[in-house]
Amino acid sequence: MLGQLEVSNLIVRYGPVEAVRDLSFSADAGQIVALIGANGAGKSTTLKAIMGLCERLQGSVRVDGEDVRSRPGAALAHGVALSPEGRRMFARMTVQDNLLMGAYSGQGQRPQKEVLEQVYQYFPRLKERRKQMAGSLSGGEQQMAAIGRALMAQPRILMLDEPSLGIAPIIVADIARIIHEINKDTGVTVILVEQNAQMALQLASRGYVLESGQIELSGTGEELLANPDVRKAYLGT
Amino acid sequence: MSFLIIQSLVNGVILGLLYLLMAIGFTLVFGIMRVVNFAHGEFYMLGAFAAYFAFAVAGLPYPVAVAGAFGGAIVLGAIIERVVFRPFRGDELSGMIASIGLALILQNLALIAFGPDPLSMPSLVSGAYNWGGIILPKSRVVVILGSMVILAIFYYFLMHTRTGRALRALVQDREIAAAYGVRVELMYPLGLALGAALAAMAGAFMAPLFGVSPFVGGTPLLKAFIVVILGGLGSIPGAVIASMLLGLIESTTSTFFGASTADIVVFALVIAVLLVRPSGLLGHKEA
Ligand SMILES: Nc1ncnc2c1ncn2[C@@H]1O[C@H](COP(=O)(O)OP(=O)(O)OP(=O)(O)O)[C@@H](O)[C@H]1O
Ligand SMILES: [Mg+2]
Repeated sequence: MLGQLEVSNLIVRYGPVEAVRDLSFSADAGQIVALIGANGAGKSTTLKAIMGLCERLQGSVRVDGEDVRSRPGAALAHGVALSPEGRRMFARMTVQDNLLMGAYSGQGQRPQKEVLEQVYQYFPRLKERRKQMAGSLSGGEQQMAAIGRALMAQPRILMLDEPSLGIAPIIVADIARIIHEINKDTGVTVILVEQNAQMALQLASRGYVLESGQIELSGTGEELLANPDVRKAYLGT
Repeated sequence: MSFLIIQSLVNGVILGLLYLLMAIGFTLVFGIMRVVNFAHGEFYMLGAFAAYFAFAVAGLPYPVAVAGAFGGAIVLGAIIERVVFRPFRGDELSGMIASIGLALILQNLALIAFGPDPLSMPSLVSGAYNWGGIILPKSRVVVILGSMVILAIFYYFLMHTRTGRALRALVQDREIAAAYGVRVELMYPLGLALGAALAAMAGAFMAPLFGVSPFVGGTPLLKAFIVVILGGLGSIPGAVIASMLLGLIESTTSTFFGASTADIVVFALVIAVLLVRPSGLLGHKEA
């Protein structure tokens, strides 16, 4: 299974605001890579730029050595799926319809039914609620559904934007465990964007610290967890 | 008396179905393109003319006339999205103004081509059913059944097919739908084409009852508007309830108190509902 991601010299601007400036990072196939940073550091913008959801002023995105163009759907065609910040479920559609939307592009080798069953195995709660409107799920359940929807695309690279946002610690632990399991079972590369640096760096084999649209620090998850600057800025110790 | 009541209930259901066909297309186009389409009624008008020429002039079977109205509206709708609406994408106000211009152009083209005089379309079938004293003209039963079949097919398409799901997703979150591979540049023309086709089929069905002229599109457009506001923007169950309510109230009031009283009652009802529930009967609280 492939899934190597390489982002080089990425620049994204919103009008005069330079949200991402000359950012480069990479993830090996099958790795969990964490991107951490404070509010407004440019984490979500980076993921959106990879997905072609905002324009890249400069820089390249490569998946397994192939260039990914900057337009919606291009990264998806290369096997990259995003679980967006704030979950963004289709609130007035059923949970199952939301999941099926993840498989809309119809790519991937395995039959849709089989992948759906696998998602339901990871998240049994979603199976119970599959006929319920997604908007009526709790925050934690919506997060599971958002991850499930991304998995339905049978990605080689799964990008998760703040899966712990606004969710009770006990559910965060659950979600972290499932992310780890998914990565181990399927070999999918995971790009994990988090403000919860503790959770992200524990899961990740490599981490990057973003600040003002640039990479400030990088290292293994353990190195960063032990780094005094990181501890002070992101772990409050 | 009881004959009058039955008659006005049947007419109310027919009106309700007409309004529903109009409202669903109208709200679909708004949901997908974010354009208030003032030309929606003109697709009704074109559908009525299409049915008139196919059925009354060329003598084709009625289902063929309806299918023709459907096909023609699909093609015309897709072309119009490309030519008229695409330049204003993302600019709701200009899109709306463009739709008013389009409505004027279509209406005046029809006026030049067909003249101002109302044409009368013969009934689809003659005769009546007599169920234990309840007499129903066959032509009305055909209109009711035909509209219901079309609504059922459309509902199935929207709720249970891959493309229908994509349209619904697009209405709710364009960016995320695009991230999962929904191609906006295909869905916009499809949305307008389907909206136009629903209106055109409504026109084709209703032509024998409400006549054919370049000006027949105005009232259905207005009623679609009211249904959407009354039922709640984007709510299909809301639209069903609102259109039936509107049709039945309009038809019974005008039978017993005259047409102008019916209009007053309808608008009073709309105002009352909006005072109590600003987002409509089953509306969502959102922009
Ligand atoms: N659509 C937009 N229009 C204008 N500016 C934007 C837009 N989206 C983001 N920005 C700006 O770009 C910068 C980076 O934002 P981004 O959302 O990428 O940060 P983030 O690291 O994901 O933050 P958070 O942790 O709060 O989610 C911020 O300064 C933000 O204000
Ligand atoms: Mg963010």
